[in-house]
Amino acid sequence: MTFLIGLPILIITAILQTTVISRMPLLNGTADLMLIVITAWALQRQISTSWQWALLGGMLIDYYSGLPFGVYTLSYLALNGAAVILKNRVWQFSYLMHLLLALLGTLLIQGFSVIIILLQGTALPLGTVLQQVILPSLILNLLLTFPIYLLINDVAEQIKPSAVKL
Amino acid sequence: MNELFSQPSRILIISLMILGILALAFSGMFSTLSSVVNAPLISAQSWFSQQYQAARDFVTAPRDVTVLRQEISALEAENARLQAEIIDLQQQLIEFEILSALLEFARSHPEHQYLGASVIGRDPSPFLNYILINRGSDDGLRRGMPVVTHNGLAGRITQVTPSGARVQLITDPTTSINVKIQPTGAEAILSGSITGDISLQQIPQDAAINPGNLILTSGLGGNFPANIIIGQITSVRRQENALFQSASVQPVTDYENLDIVLVITNFNPIDTGPLIPTPENP
Repeated sequence: MTFLIGLPILIITAILQTTVISRMPLLNGTADLMLIVITAWALQRQISTSWQWALLGGMLIDYYSGLPFGVYTLSYLALNGAAVILKNRVWQFSYLMHLLLALLGTLLIQGFSVIIILLQGTALPLGTVLQQVILPSLILNLLLTFPIYLLINDVAEQIKPSAVKL
Repeated sequence: MNELFSQPSRILIISLMILGILALAFSGMFSTLSSVVNAPLISAQSWFSQQYQAARDFVTAPRDVTVLRQEISALEAENARLQAEIIDLQQQLIEFEILSALLEFARSHPEHQYLGASVIGRDPSPFLNYILINRGSDDGLRRGMPVVTHNGLAGRITQVTPSGARVQLITDPTTSINVKIQPTGAEAILSGSITGDISLQQIPQDAAINPGNLILTSGLGGNFPANIIIGQITSVRRQENALFQSASVQPVTDYENLDIVLVITNFNPIDTGPLIPTPENP
C-alpha cells in the first residue's frame, strides 16, 4: 500500500529534481530533494517498509544521472538503514534526526560521486569541490528538511495513523 | 349678499377679480409677496427631497455594491486572463527568437543536418554538467552526435533512450575537446571544470595567443565537426619553464539557461579507442 502511494510521490520528486531543483544552484551545489524525501519517510515511526522508497527513489535518480548506475540507489539504501537504526534507538527528536541524516547523506553521496569521478581519471580540485559544491548543497538540503519533514509526516499520518498512547 | 347681486352679476364680479389678480401677478406686483411665501416652501421641499434621496440611496446602495463587486470580479478575471496571455505571448516571442537564431545558425552551416530538441532537465548530480533532451533514438539520434545552440557548440550525446537523450555539455569536468585558436591556428585541448568554467590546456609555448582570440573545434579526434565556435580567450597563463601555455575561455553559450538545442544528425563520430595502444595491443 505504502509502496503504491510512494510511486507517484517518488516519480514527481525525481521529475522536480531534474527539472526545477537542478536548475536552482547555490554556487555550484544543488539540493537533493530525493534524499530529503526518502530520509524523512524512513524516520516515520509507523512506516516499516521505507527501504522500498529508498530503492525506487535511488533507481529513479540513477536513471536520470550520468553517474554510474547504483551510486544513488546504494547511498539511499545505506541512509535508509541509518534512519531505521536511529529511529529504533532514539525515541524523540525525529526532526533533529532528519537534519543529521541530511548532513550524513549529503556527505555520503557527494563523497561517493567525487571518488567515482576521480577513479574515472578526472582531476578534481578538492578545495573547490568542498567550497563550491558540497557546502552549498549541504546548506540547501538542510533548508529543505523542515518543510519536507512536515509534508512527509502528514502523508504518513494519512496513510498510517500512528498509535495513540492511552 | 345674495339679495344684493343676481347670479350673473356675481359670476361677472368674481371673473373680474380673478382677471385683476392675474393681471397684477403678470405685472409683477405679487413678486415680493410670492418670494416671501415661496422661500419656506422651497426650503421645505428641498429638505423632503434630500430625505427621500437619502432613503432611496439607503435602499438601493447595497444592490449597487453587489453589482459593482460582480463587475470588479469580472474585470479581475479578464485582467488575469490578459496577463496570462501576455506571459504566453512573451514566452512565444522568446521561443521564436531562439528558433530564429537556431535557423540562422543552421543556414550559416548548411553542410550539416539538424534536429531541434527541447531541454527538459539537468543531471541531478551537481558534479556533472549534463542536460536531458526530449528527442531520442526514435527520432534518429545516436550516441556521440554533436549538439549545438544558435551561438555555438553545446556538447554531445552520451546516452540515448527511445524518447530522450542525455547530452554532456562541454563544461562538464570530464570533457576534453580538440580545438584550434584563431587567427593563429594553434591547437589546444579544451577542458571543463567542476565550476562550469572552461579552459584551454596544452597550448604550444611558441603559439602567439591573446585575449579575444576565437576558439573553434578543430575536428581532430573525430568527436566533433570542425569550425564550430566555442568561445573567446579571456586570459592567458604563460610560464617560462612550462611545456605549455594555458588560457581561460569565455564560452559564447550560456549553459545555465539552455532551452532549445540542435543535434547535428549527419555527423558520424569516429571511435578512436581501438587505435590507442594498450598493453595488450601495443
